[in-house]
Amino acid sequence: MRIAILSGKGGTGKTTVATNLLSVSDNGVLIDTDVEEPNSHLFLKPQIHHSEAIKKRYPIVDETLCNLCGACGDFCRFNAILPAKKQVLVFKELCHDCGGCQMVCPQGAIQYKERSIGMVHTGKTDTNQVMHYGELIVGEISGVPIIERLHQITKDEDLVFIDSPPGTACSTVAAIESADYAIIVAEPTPFGVSDMKMVVELLRNLHIPMGVVVNKDGLGDDEIYRYCETESVHILGRIPFKKEYARHYAGGTLISKVDEEYRKNLTGILAQVIGRKEGV
Amino acid sequence: MLAVCAKEPGLDSKVDERFGRAEYYVIFDEAKNMPQSIENKAKFEAGGAGGTAVRLLNENGVDVLLAPELGPKAMDAIKAFEMTVYRYTEQKTVRETIEDYKAGKLSKIDTSTTPSKHGLRKV
Repeated sequence: MRIAILSGKGGTGKTTVATNLLSVSDNGVLIDTDVEEPNSHLFLKPQIHHSEAIKKRYPIVDETLCNLCGACGDFCRFNAILPAKKQVLVFKELCHDCGGCQMVCPQGAIQYKERSIGMVHTGKTDTNQVMHYGELIVGEISGVPIIERLHQITKDEDLVFIDSPPGTACSTVAAIESADYAIIVAEPTPFGVSDMKMVVELLRNLHIPMGVVVNKDGLGDDEIYRYCETESVHILGRIPFKKEYARHYAGGTLISKVDEEYRKNLTGILAQVIGRKEGV
Repeated sequence: MLAVCAKEPGLDSKVDERFGRAEYYVIFDEAKNMPQSIENKAKFEAGGAGGTAVRLLNENGVDVLLAPELGPKAMDAIKAFEMTVYRYTEQKTVRETIEDYKAGKLSKIDTSTTPSKHGLRKV
């Protein structure tokens, strides 16, 4: 089972919930797909035993074959290739490596070259749990190839927790589209609820079943509960807003390792997700 | 032909403060004394608007551009399309800016005036 943990709004507790769910699971693996700013390793503190560079291709134009017809520039949606008067300019950092320019080039003048856009690191925690996290080089336009690699290397695992990026854009879709279930970590604040609505819409479009964990319960107002009731979105659990939790988090400690009540709460949430009946 | 970055169509529009994401370009044929305004189709691009805007201007026969600023990719494109750029610094109308150009008041630029909008800024 692949369980995505996402939120829409940043800072609601995705990583806290994802890392603690891993910690209370017996056989889980975690992937941190928030490659622009991965942080689950700060809590899981893995010993990294493997790192690999993730490559992306960009076009190289053979000027002896190119007749400057312009087909590549017309095709590219990302302004990465620009046929000019006597040469073709390539802005490689804008290239999404879709392969389109090579396909439309009638002269066969386009080849590709590889360059690194980031890394995937693999390690084990002190309790022998496996985690992988991706890291995108600052300035790169898209971390999707790194997210796809994280999914590929965990495709045969029984239980995968996907710590997802914030927002509802391309990288979030890449992170969650293969999930069997999505846990929305939301905070009961106006911003939290507003962004959560976009997540609910996204998950419905992708036909991924979902449940909500209300984090920092007791803050803000009760709009989140009214929204979930109206929209029939299941609430898996509530994690109270407590100073001790914030203190453990700030110290890089997994709360479930030091707080029995928190551990029980997360164990209950996980049991519901894993044992859930159709339609819940 | 001459192009000016403009907020609206026509010679009486104010000039735009941006190049790649300017609203319009007013293209002026000096020989015929005829203005023509085109909408900048590149202005909504997430990245690389400047290069694509230069290509659009080239398709419209432009070889001289009057612009307020240019990023590095736009400047690479300007050179590759063999255009010349003159920089304006005042928020006048398109008509007044063309007059300034004709009077030799605008300076020619051949390096970018703004840092890349891509990635980290160098401090």
